[in-house]
Amino acid sequence: MLLQLKNIFKWVNSGGQRIFLLKDINFEVSEGEFISIMGPSGSGKSTLLNVIGMLDGFDEGEYHFLDESVHSLKEKHRSNLYKEYIGFVFQSYHLLDDLTVKENLEMPLLYKKYSSSERKAKVADMLDRFNIVGKKDLFPAQLSGGQQQLVGIARALISNPKLILADEPTGNLNSKQGEEIMELFKKLNDEGVTIIQVTHSEKNAAYGSRVINLLDGRMI
Amino acid sequence: MFKNYLKIAARNLFNNKTYSFINIGGLALGLAVSILIGLWIHDEKSFNTNFSNHDRIAQVLVNKTNNGEVRTRFTLPYPLADELRNVHPNDFNHVVMSSFPGDNVLSSKEKNLNKYGVFMEQGALRLFSLHMLKGNQSALNDPNAIVISESTAKAFFGDKEPIGKTMHLNNDAVVTVRGVFEDLPHNSNIFETLAAFSEGKPLDFIAPWTVYVSMYEWVKTARDRKLWDNNSYQVYVEVSNQSKLQAVNDKIKHALYDHVPDLTKKSNPEIFLHPMNDWHLKSSFKNGVSSGGAIQYVRMFGIIGVFVLLLACINFMNLSTARSQRRAKEVGIRKTVGSNKNQLIGQFLFESFLVTFCAFVLACALVGVLLPVFNPLANKQIVFPLAKPMFWCIGLGLVLITSLLAGSYPALYLSSFHPIKVLKGTIQSGKSATSFRKVLVVVQFMVSIILVSGTILVNRQIQHTKNRPIGYEQNGLIMVEKTTADFEGKYNTLREAFKNNTGVIEMSESSSPMTEVWHSNGGYEWEGKDPNFITNIVNFYVSHDYGKTIGWEVKEGRDFSRDFASDSTAYVLNEAAVEYMGLQDPVGKTIRWYDGEHKVIGVVKNLLTESPFEPVKQAIYSINYQETNWINLKLSPDKSLAQSLEQIEMEFAQIAPNVPFEYHFVDDAFGNKFKAEERMRKLSEIFSVLAIFISCLGLYGLSAFIAERRTKEIGIRKVLGASILSLFKMLSWDFVVLILLSGLIAIPVAYYLILQWLQNYTYQINIPWWVFGVAISCVMLTALFTVSYQAVRAATSNPMKSLRTE
Ligand SMILES: Nc1ncnc2c1ncn2[C@@H]1O[C@H](COP(=O)(O)OP(=O)(O)OP(=O)(O)O)[C@@H](O)[C@H]1O
Ligand SMILES: [Mg+2]
Repeated sequence: MLLQLKNIFKWVNSGGQRIFLLKDINFEVSEGEFISIMGPSGSGKSTLLNVIGMLDGFDEGEYHFLDESVHSLKEKHRSNLYKEYIGFVFQSYHLLDDLTVKENLEMPLLYKKYSSSERKAKVADMLDRFNIVGKKDLFPAQLSGGQQQLVGIARALISNPKLILADEPTGNLNSKQGEEIMELFKKLNDEGVTIIQVTHSEKNAAYGSRVINLLDGRMI
Repeated sequence: MFKNYLKIAARNLFNNKTYSFINIGGLALGLAVSILIGLWIHDEKSFNTNFSNHDRIAQVLVNKTNNGEVRTRFTLPYPLADELRNVHPNDFNHVVMSSFPGDNVLSSKEKNLNKYGVFMEQGALRLFSLHMLKGNQSALNDPNAIVISESTAKAFFGDKEPIGKTMHLNNDAVVTVRGVFEDLPHNSNIFETLAAFSEGKPLDFIAPWTVYVSMYEWVKTARDRKLWDNNSYQVYVEVSNQSKLQAVNDKIKHALYDHVPDLTKKSNPEIFLHPMNDWHLKSSFKNGVSSGGAIQYVRMFGIIGVFVLLLACINFMNLSTARSQRRAKEVGIRKTVGSNKNQLIGQFLFESFLVTFCAFVLACALVGVLLPVFNPLANKQIVFPLAKPMFWCIGLGLVLITSLLAGSYPALYLSSFHPIKVLKGTIQSGKSATSFRKVLVVVQFMVSIILVSGTILVNRQIQHTKNRPIGYEQNGLIMVEKTTADFEGKYNTLREAFKNNTGVIEMSESSSPMTEVWHSNGGYEWEGKDPNFITNIVNFYVSHDYGKTIGWEVKEGRDFSRDFASDSTAYVLNEAAVEYMGLQDPVGKTIRWYDGEHKVIGVVKNLLTESPFEPVKQAIYSINYQETNWINLKLSPDKSLAQSLEQIEMEFAQIAPNVPFEYHFVDDAFGNKFKAEERMRKLSEIFSVLAIFISCLGLYGLSAFIAERRTKEIGIRKVLGASILSLFKMLSWDFVVLILLSGLIAIPVAYYLILQWLQNYTYQINIPWWVFGVAISCVMLTALFTVSYQAVRAATSNPMKSLRTE
């Protein structure tokens, strides 16, 4: 088992009223799964993904990741945990505009203990694996959306995470590009990477092994 | 890691050229100003440190109390030096009596030059440990020796050997060159000078005391009769041990009092040592205690330097936080891929260090360019110490401090962004940052307003002083010092010759130059004087034609006249003297002095002969052809100046062929008295302009950012029918409010500071309120002009274009 959420609640207080963003979320994810989270806009999909990614906290419940109890971890430990095991892919890619493809890929490694030669090797490996060697010295603005998302995924994968969290990774892409990204996810999943994605598309959800449906912050 | 930071930083700077220019340019300007001021302060503080015993050298000064008022003087009687030497042999390594420095005619063969020199007792060269290029420090032991400066040696002998050459001093004494000393550096002032026009003159020679005694009868008299109440000499000492200075001070306190005549005892003369380290920085005294001097300017410009740098740092902070939205995404991404807060703080601090370092390099180049302009303005000869490791250490320290000062807040602010919020794009640059930015802008403009109002008031104070009635006519008035005895007894011949053959309307002689006071005396008595009142009155010894030459204004009674033989003992008073003595109908009254009774024949309006910043002192004018040192000449306004001067020079050459003709325009000499103030005015003007410029640079960046951020809003408003004027108002109004607020805070601060500064002057302006209005409007207009560029651009842009960018 990779992670487990138990009775997760998350709320915000607004004007003396408690607004629930997540209500009583319970589920387990095993290593090697490919899960899709679906639901109408505003139903709390991104919120849930961020909670899983430890970028956001929650107000009640328990969250176990591997053997750690995330809810009782200190901020520092928590960030070490996601730094090591989790990679993020965003709808709008979120590459650093001032860095080249190669430098963007290298960046996560800089925050971990890799020697310069290890970094070079890993970046070269990724470029090769994603077939973007020719683009390594270009800046993000010089790439198409699909290519940018490729770089985004490569960046998420570069430090060998166990879990990839993707929030509408194909949302800004045309259907052809979207399909390619989904194929890539499938392949990664076959290689053993656990993936949780948020999507609006049934077709994309079909790539996964399981679907979690959300409505008003509650699983249905 | 640093490579990555460096790349990001460099590309960031390169891709945002306006922003980088404002940041680096502003900081460079601020740093350049700080470096210049730092160099200036260093130079001021280095005064006299070239003398190896500067810690142990001191000048003997005396405090005298008359009618409750303490005055500090450096004039001492002849026997004091011997007294100090003999009574305290273990406390002093050297006690050296010295004449006042002045112009003397030095001649060798055909060459006669006016040279600025001084007569000193043996030990002078050792006391100052002068660096002897030729000869040694015992050169003055020869009673007929002279030691000259390197440049004087060059002027007379070129490359030939100067040692052993015979020279004439004032066409009188014969002396032999026994030594050549290295020219004293610019940052040394070992002699208090009486005359403003000799300020900063390099020392050309030192002649032995024996020559002084042989040349002047009055010096010999003072020596032979041990005159304790003739104060015409200076005394320098080197104490045997620096730690003793205070103890010696206490010991010698009464050395003068114990010997002076009873009448002088009334003024309770107390002597003390003024250490060489304080000669330049703490040269003025109020009520007998050191009240500052150049140190005040050092402090003032030090503060200005820090403030200007602060203004530049504020720009950096404001622009960094204002642009935070742009960097926010980067913070979010870095945090999600594993950066922690400290690493981000490190990154942003590194960036601010990088920017500051670039600015520092630029600032060094700026200083290199500006020094040649700055030096004459500040009357300095500062060289840029680029080769000194110390400079680089301090420079690096400056860069570190500046980058921390400018970078800490933005680093803390940026690194604390929450990754989800910034990536979602919901972060609006926080309210706290916006208000902090406003506070900083207020501080910036407060400093600018203070500097501007300060500058206006300094200007007014100087103008006010310049407008003071001076009591005589400076136009076409020149003065020539009688350095040699050639002119003795030739007054009438000279006057006739000048009046007949040259463009001189009138000639006269006087004991002091028009712009100085060389003599004062006590011991005056008159009817109705309080017996306990101790008098001290300034004396001018003049010839009959003095008043006519300088055009003084007789207020009561009459001027001196040759028609009354009795005028040889008559007195003319100035208004201040009438008030000082409390005389009701002064003309016809009798004043007694040691030499008998004197009738007051007239009262003249006050003549401004000393500091134009001080009240005019009580003065007595009397006829005395023996005591005159200066020839005053009134030139005809109808003749050409050059021609008149040429004719005058010829007449002088007839009478004193070996004396080089040197003259001073009275108005120039008078103008010199404003030098320090004028210098300060110019510098404060420049710094005010720079301060405003730096602030506006920041404002420009800020307004560009705000206009950019509000592009969409402006577009929508325009589509909905807003006029350009209303948009302009909307974009500028915030700044107007901020500047008004700065003004409100600046006024009391500026008022207080200026009041402090004015305390230095007795003759001072009051502070009119409109000055602050002018300063605020001045800053406001400049700021509005700066903001308006962006505001107009945004307000007139095509709304459809700006809406499409979203
Ligand atoms: N800080 C917050 N304060 C108040 N409400 C919030 C906050 N964050 C999120 N919400 C609300 O929580 C709900 C869920 O938001 P979330 O972004 O998770 O939706 P989503 O399912 O990802 O929608 P979409 O498909 O449009 O991306 C929304 O209604 C949103 O308005
Ligand atoms: Mg979402």
